[in-house]
Amino acid sequence: MSENVLEVKGLSKMYKKGVYAAHDVTFNIKKGEIFALIGPNGAGKTTTIRMISTLLTATEGDAVVAGHSILTDAAKVRENITYLPDEAGAYKTMKGIDYLDFMAKLYAPDKNHAKEYVERAKEICGLGDRLFDKIESYSRGMIRKLLLSRAVMSRPALAILDEPTSGLDILNALEIRRMIKKLAADEGMSFLLSSHNMLEIEFVSDRVGIIAKGNLLEIGTPEELKAKHNAKNLEEVFEGMVKNSEIC
Amino acid sequence: MKFANLFRKELKELLTPSTIITTIVMMFVLVFAGNAFGGIIEDSVEQMSVMTICDKDQSQISKDLIKQLTISEVDEETGAVISYDDSLVKLVDIQSEDYAKELERLDVNNAIIIPEGFGDALLNGKECEIISISKMSSSATLSNISLNDSAVESIRQIAKTLYIANKGISLEDIAKSETLVTVSPITIVADKSAPVSSTLISSLTSMQSMFVPIVVYVLIMFSSQLIMTAISTEKIDKTLETLLSAPVSRLSVLLAKMLAAGTVAAFNAIAYMIGFSQMMGSMTSELPSGIDADKYLSELGLTLSFSGYILLGLQLFVTVLITLSVSLVLGALAKDAKSAQSLLMPIIFMAIIPYILSMVMDLKELNPILRIIVYAIPFTHTFTAAENIMFSNMGIFWGGFAYQCILLVICMAVAVKIFTTDRIFTVTLNFGGKKRAKKNKTLSENE
Ligand SMILES: Nc1ncnc2c1ncn2[C@@H]1O[C@H](COP(=O)(O)OP(=O)(O)OP(=O)(O)O)[C@@H](O)[C@H]1O
Ligand SMILES: [Mg+2]
Repeated sequence: MSENVLEVKGLSKMYKKGVYAAHDVTFNIKKGEIFALIGPNGAGKTTTIRMISTLLTATEGDAVVAGHSILTDAAKVRENITYLPDEAGAYKTMKGIDYLDFMAKLYAPDKNHAKEYVERAKEICGLGDRLFDKIESYSRGMIRKLLLSRAVMSRPALAILDEPTSGLDILNALEIRRMIKKLAADEGMSFLLSSHNMLEIEFVSDRVGIIAKGNLLEIGTPEELKAKHNAKNLEEVFEGMVKNSEIC
Repeated sequence: MKFANLFRKELKELLTPSTIITTIVMMFVLVFAGNAFGGIIEDSVEQMSVMTICDKDQSQISKDLIKQLTISEVDEETGAVISYDDSLVKLVDIQSEDYAKELERLDVNNAIIIPEGFGDALLNGKECEIISISKMSSSATLSNISLNDSAVESIRQIAKTLYIANKGISLEDIAKSETLVTVSPITIVADKSAPVSSTLISSLTSMQSMFVPIVVYVLIMFSSQLIMTAISTEKIDKTLETLLSAPVSRLSVLLAKMLAAGTVAAFNAIAYMIGFSQMMGSMTSELPSGIDADKYLSELGLTLSFSGYILLGLQLFVTVLITLSVSLVLGALAKDAKSAQSLLMPIIFMAIIPYILSMVMDLKELNPILRIIVYAIPFTHTFTAAENIMFSNMGIFWGGFAYQCILLVICMAVAVKIFTTDRIFTVTLNFGGKKRAKKNKTLSENE
């Protein structure tokens, strides 16, 4: 098995003939790495992520997760990933704890593992007694924490989080970012994130890929990119790139 | 100015193509139903004016009586008969007592038998009985206008005149003439008959034909709404994406949904069956005393046997499964909660058209083209199932059931197809909202 948890090779998606929503996207994620796709609205982040999560079939290209191809081995891929959709909700009439239990049983090989997953999620989400309330009474931040703990409770080889902090206040966003960083550092989990908030992603990710109009324009650590474009932060990097190539 | 602006916006929002289509379809249903009623009423009127009579008496009195029935024109002033029309009475020969078979052979739905000795009894001022036979083939209200009742009334009047004419007039005689003719009614359903008036049976079954469809309609709408809300919330909340990216087979996600909904549906169907049998029970027990309606209904086969209930339950179950799978597909392809609502439209139509039609008329009497159209609506067979079983139209019942089973397989296949490919995320249905969706897209692309 290779070092890479994820290898994306020339992944493309056309919803409509002739229009690429994602075009020839290629990148890798190493074990324990946090990789972020950043780009403006409609850039193709969600499309790329959904293909890797086996929800969409790729028009061209392939992605290999922990040695399994999304084209030929989607079931095995699903065993190695968790996916948190953007703006996702949970079953409103369930209690938080029941939701964790329900999801744990889908991912766990047996009952004992499921129990352990729930315990772990309880700890990570930090919702305490509120877990015993119905999800419909949760705030957006609480739901996001619940879902994030769900996504990492089974220690997947790769956790895929689409815009994990969008719509959250500064404190909640900060908390989520810290959770992700801690899990990667302490447990060697790998993350694929997406965001259009380039400033916040600079703090959390090891490497970023800048995507616009379906094309992955550049990949590197935030430092590399800033140095290359002679910019103070990623936002300026992005602005510079757009001006240079007139992509938008 | 501001108000006009607001009003225009509200009107635009409400007058979507889907609401306009609803209105137009509703209008067509009503027009169509009206035409169909008209046809049926015309038919009945036509039939009503032709009396089928079997004269077993062959006496002068009975012959005179029949002659009087053929009077077609009377001078308004003098009361003298101007003309007779022999086609008003169809004279037939009924030999056996198996009236069901005899009516079948004669190809009529009603007949009156004047028994032997009628003339003698009349002349002697004794009670003289005629037999009035009516065949029922549906519980729909309009198809059961009793055709014999007016004929019997005419016979009464004529017999009275004949009696008085033969007797010389005294007060007692006139009073006597009023009660001279007694009617012994016979109602036929399929191959069974019972000595009870079809008007009574019709009033009993029309209760059923009013209430049962309401329950079926509610059941269809309930299960449809149930699963459509469930699946479209899963899609909108993106819990569906989470589920489908989890290490479970997509087929099992789909099957679990269908099975759960099917269980609820089965539960509904059973509850409905219990309610239905209770209703039939209490309906017949609340009749004026002296008439054992229960006995007659069962003699006519108008009560459901145990196997009848099983068939009905089975049929309802298949209906609900069709509803569920269609709603599941529609709900899964809905873009948002509002479009999920408008996607209920086709189901509402498929339910409401046969609902109204089957309640007021006998679909078997529709003209062939309309019949095919109405029978192509899968729920038609559900609304007519109880009636078809009770009136022994088993061919139609099984045909409809087979049709529904085939449809169910097709709907399930479509549902599986949508769930196991990425269509569930790439295809969206939005009745009448297409243009707007496109507009929004070009707008966002321009941004
Ligand atoms: N189901 C679909 N059918 C057709 N086109 C789609 C569909 N989903 C997305 N697209 C198009 O594909 C392109 C990429 O969309 P995508 O959702 O991947 O962008 P994104 O980077 O996730 O944007 P955002 O930051 O707004 O979430 C857009 O132009 C979008 O309109
Ligand atoms: Mg997105």
